[in-house]
Amino acid sequence: MSLCKTRLQEERKLWRKDHPFGFFAKPIKAEDGSLDLTTWTAGIPGKQNTLWEGATYPITITFPEEYPSKPPKVKFPAEFYHPNVYPSGTICLSILNEEQDWRPAITLKQIVLGIQELLTSPNPDSPAQEPAWRAFLKEKDVYEKKIKEQAKRYISTT
Amino acid sequence: MGRDTYLKKVLGEDRYQKVQGSTVLMVGAGGIGCELLKNLMLSGYGTIHIVDLDTITLSNLNRQFLFRKGDIDQSKSITIKKAVESFNFHGTKLISHHGNIMDTDQFPIDWWDQFSYIFNALDNLEARRYVNKMALFLKKPVMESGTTGFDGYVQPIFPYKTECFDCQPKATPQTFPVCTIRSTPSKPIHCITWAKEFLFQQLFDESVEGDAEDLSNATDNDKELENLLKESNELVELRKLVVATGEVISQNTFFSEMVRKIFQIDIERLLLIDTLWTNRLKPIPISDAQIEEVADLIRSGGIEQRLESLIDTQVWSPLENLLVLYKSATNLQTRMKNNKFIAFDKDDEDTLDFVVTAANLRSLIFQIDTLSKFDVKQIAGNIIPAIATTNAIISGFSNLESLNFLAQNSRTDSSMVFISIRPNKYVTSATLEAPRKQCASCSVARGILKSEEGTLDQVTLEQFIDKVKSKYSYSSDISIILGKSKLIYDFDFDDNLSKSLSEIGFKTGELVLIQDEDDEVENLELYIEVGLKSNDIELPELELRQKILIEKENGHENGVGKDAEEESGDVIESDMAFETIVIEDEVEEEVPAPKKRRIN
Ligand SMILES: [Zn+2]
Repeated sequence: MSLCKTRLQEERKLWRKDHPFGFFAKPIKAEDGSLDLTTWTAGIPGKQNTLWEGATYPITITFPEEYPSKPPKVKFPAEFYHPNVYPSGTICLSILNEEQDWRPAITLKQIVLGIQELLTSPNPDSPAQEPAWRAFLKEKDVYEKKIKEQAKRYISTT
Repeated sequence: MGRDTYLKKVLGEDRYQKVQGSTVLMVGAGGIGCELLKNLMLSGYGTIHIVDLDTITLSNLNRQFLFRKGDIDQSKSITIKKAVESFNFHGTKLISHHGNIMDTDQFPIDWWDQFSYIFNALDNLEARRYVNKMALFLKKPVMESGTTGFDGYVQPIFPYKTECFDCQPKATPQTFPVCTIRSTPSKPIHCITWAKEFLFQQLFDESVEGDAEDLSNATDNDKELENLLKESNELVELRKLVVATGEVISQNTFFSEMVRKIFQIDIERLLLIDTLWTNRLKPIPISDAQIEEVADLIRSGGIEQRLESLIDTQVWSPLENLLVLYKSATNLQTRMKNNKFIAFDKDDEDTLDFVVTAANLRSLIFQIDTLSKFDVKQIAGNIIPAIATTNAIISGFSNLESLNFLAQNSRTDSSMVFISIRPNKYVTSATLEAPRKQCASCSVARGILKSEEGTLDQVTLEQFIDKVKSKYSYSSDISIILGKSKLIYDFDFDDNLSKSLSEIGFKTGELVLIQDEDDEVENLELYIEVGLKSNDIELPELELRQKILIEKENGHENGVGKDAEEESGDVIESDMAFETIVIEDEVEEEVPAPKKRRIN
């Protein structure tokens, strides 16, 4: 729908003018050389002085045709280790949930900042995967070790 | 007395002539279309084009009264034309088009341009949006209409003068987050979605692998299956049981294994996550006693009798749900021996029974109301009840409201009409409002970009951008989006500048959206029309308005109310158009349910 594409171009413009330090976000390039505004890749830097620091975590953001009435779907790579991330990589976050806190006015910037916050502050009430969730609640040392290992895999290049 | 004597009296001589001389389009030859075509013909329209892509099915016949049993599998648009010839009293010329209205090859923009009025008789949002857009491009009036059960509406649309179809947001089918479906359902629809799109799919249907476009939960859950439930992989094991070579014994095994896993083990596992249940009712797994009771009944062979006495419109007991689940699951299992997979179909009893009972049993566990098979079928099958009378009333209004425009001065003071079954609100009407300035469709200037095939091969994107910028005096840089979501150029993306337009994808029927970087002027959308004899690219003559000015304009203008006042001398017509026909109580301050509006 036309609202979807004008809004996405608007988001792109907003992002260019103002985006948080260390983050990136861009539409993917299609085979024909155009940019597909409905699918973006982005990088979420882990917060400093946390287990997640030093790495930039990749996500893909898929915007449905009904966006911004409906929220985009955001995914980490499959098997991403976090209590609120499904094994498929899908993120369980209330601002991305149509039935919960999604509002059409939520910007891309707010989404990526929300995800950065989620990394360091998991929500124990919405478990999305068994291993990270259990470790987070019951075996802190295992949890920390796994997070640090994961950070090494996504080490920031800049 | 001539056949048209009364018609002339009703319409007035002038309007009669105008109607006779009109070429109109009716999109859709279904429930509303059958009624509407009859009305339009009896109103004496000169030429009516009919477009529909469907063929006639048995379930159409109860309300699409122009079709008969012998017409099944025939084209709707062609059959409807033959059906009305017997009462073509005013010599209307009927032209059928079997095809998709959104097909730009069959229906190029100059084909659309021949109509003086467009009647929508459609059943889906996508086509309505498309017709709306074409009408905005060509500034053609549209009579939009729709019905759901006892409710119905007509909305006359006068492009850029009154609200368009997109001005009011439309409800789209709801999707549910994975978390709700998989772990914490709270409504019957959650359990039905789980049963239909997750459980059924996993056990019997082909697995759908990561289609990015389709955000259905099943896609997600598919991958999660292997991972999330790594500990036991039971569903996969279950699926293996489904296709295991079938002795009778494996049928019982499959059923009891399935019930134990889905309604006991999985639930017990969820219960372990106690944080989930601090603010929610805890689910109660099915008891061993319940499972044994079913097993006993199966062994005793008395279940057929029990099943025969069940009524679709009643809510079944837990035991009855389990029995129907057993029956449908074993039937499906048997069928899997010949089929690679089975897809859910509301008219396939086994698949429906399975989904109904699995959803109900899950509802019972989560202490959610259970529903009758009839009700689940409506939801799982996305069935919208269609009622012939509603269609007939709405088609009548559709025809009637359009006649204002065919009055001598092409009046645009038609009304929206809503019908419903609520007392005092059988028929209500509302004045048309000016386009909403936030509407993504109305806030765009539109025109047609004309070109020749060869020209698109020669002109580069860079040349095109220069041309657009100077033609419309853009002061800042622009961005260009082609089709649904392809960004081909903006301030930050100049990779394609040296490519030719055809290389980039410019072709007939494609839309080009142009926005300015500084957000100062309205957006511009161009419809590409190839084929005209022209050595260059012809851009439409348009004046792009400043965004700030548009807001001011909308502040002052009072929609079409002004027109109505100027023409208030025309009493007979406004009578005919409305007042004498409205069946409405005196109470008028309430707004009709569908939308908040001013009411006449
Ligand atoms: Zn509009």
